[in-house]
Amino acid sequence: MIRLYNVHKNYGQHVALRDVSFTVSKGEFCYITGPSGAGKTTMLKLLYGAIQPTTGQLQVAGMNLSLLKKNQLPLLRQQIGIVFQDFKLIPTRTVGENIGLALEVIGTPRHLIERRVQAVLNIVGLPGRDHLYPAYLSGGEQQRVAIARAIINDPSILLADEPTGNLDGAMAVAVMDILQKINLRGTTVLVATHDAALMKRFPYRCIRFRNGQLEKR
Amino acid sequence: MSLTFLQHIFRRATRSIWENLYLNAVSASVIGASLILLGLYSLVQNNLSTVIDSWNKDVHVSVYFADDVDEERRLELRDKIHGMSEVIQVRYVSEVDAKNWMLEEVSGIEDTLKELGDNILPASLEITLDAQMAHPKRIEEFASKIDYDDFVATDYGVEWVDKFNAFLRMFQALGTFVGLLIIIAAMFLVTNTVHLVIYNRRNEIEIAKLVGATKSFVVLPFLIEGTIQGLIGALGALTGLWVIHRTLVNQLQQHETLKMMTDLSFIPVGQQLLLLFIGLTLGLMAALIATLRFLRKVG
Repeated sequence: MIRLYNVHKNYGQHVALRDVSFTVSKGEFCYITGPSGAGKTTMLKLLYGAIQPTTGQLQVAGMNLSLLKKNQLPLLRQQIGIVFQDFKLIPTRTVGENIGLALEVIGTPRHLIERRVQAVLNIVGLPGRDHLYPAYLSGGEQQRVAIARAIINDPSILLADEPTGNLDGAMAVAVMDILQKINLRGTTVLVATHDAALMKRFPYRCIRFRNGQLEKR
Repeated sequence: MSLTFLQHIFRRATRSIWENLYLNAVSASVIGASLILLGLYSLVQNNLSTVIDSWNKDVHVSVYFADDVDEERRLELRDKIHGMSEVIQVRYVSEVDAKNWMLEEVSGIEDTLKELGDNILPASLEITLDAQMAHPKRIEEFASKIDYDDFVATDYGVEWVDKFNAFLRMFQALGTFVGLLIIIAAMFLVTNTVHLVIYNRRNEIEIAKLVGATKSFVVLPFLIEGTIQGLIGALGALTGLWVIHRTLVNQLQQHETLKMMTDLSFIPVGQQLLLLFIGLTLGLMAALIATLRFLRKVG
């Protein structure tokens, strides 16, 4: 599902990632971990095409990102779901509209979007909240809305960048429960985190970075 | 591009107009104001051209007899000139006719004219030429053909029409130049206003791109928004121009001396459509430039 061969990423003189190679299989749950500045976010940005590797080969969902043209980027993004630490919800749109955006961009009819929104809200435990605006929700609920948006188009891969970073313990566990549930449905899940307690509570394979290099695959 | 996709795009465009009503109103007003300026120029230019055309078609030459030419010779010359191929009509105006005409046209000079006697104004022939003669050189050639000693003066009033034509040509050139400047200035203002609308929605655009929005999904709503701004601006301008035109006609009708100008015509349909087209293009181009500039910045 995800393959990296000798990937390097430099920002000018600064080396963010050095000679990174690993594979994540279909349906796997996997952590990308390491201290701050280790390269976790850079790694995720490479995986959803926000940046290009300086050298090396990168394959995600059957697409070679090193050869990806700019106009093919939406195709990649339509096949993966992304969850951010700061949720990235549109404050002027309702929960339903925020979640439905991922289907709107591919031209799904409105009645189908509404039906799917209700279904994913049930999965993340927020039934009937589609008419609320994000500001009326707690941090944990907003993160669950972000997860609902990421899974509404049944992506094969879900990337989560510090999804519990802004949440308290109980909320973090609730979010991890949802991610686990999504993984059990067959979605490959990659979670970038440095929360050791959470990784201990939900033990999965860890890909550990330090100073831009792989420490553990 | 599916119909559902287009429905989403239109819904996003109309929603954005509603959410950024003030900025959209500013853009539409700028477009409208520019088109009103262009339209006013058109209105003036069209009406001036109509007046000049009518002057040009109405080709007249007047020749004034010397005092010592008798009536018989005058009528002989009238018939001779009437027989020329370029001439449509010749009217003999005697000294008495000329004086009567003067009395009709200018009030309060009866006593003065009585004192001066009957022969104060010279007798003349008023010659109407064929419309094909409406050219200064041809009229001059004709005037030289009838340059008899019996006439003391010839007046064919073309020189100043010619000068007016030259003024009109300069007015047209100046109008085109100023019109272009107005369009460029409007484009600049509208582009920056649309840029503000896009900037207000930058987070939404970023998020839409993260969930797989294509370039067309991002750009098209702004283009539709720009086109709607252009359409509203152009329709507003045409309405404004019509109101200005009607007000002007009504004002002119109230003034006795300006009544002859009340057949002031509105800009022709072709130019109205052109203004509409300019408005739409202005809105569309401004939105396109602003959106592409924004996308180039954010990548």
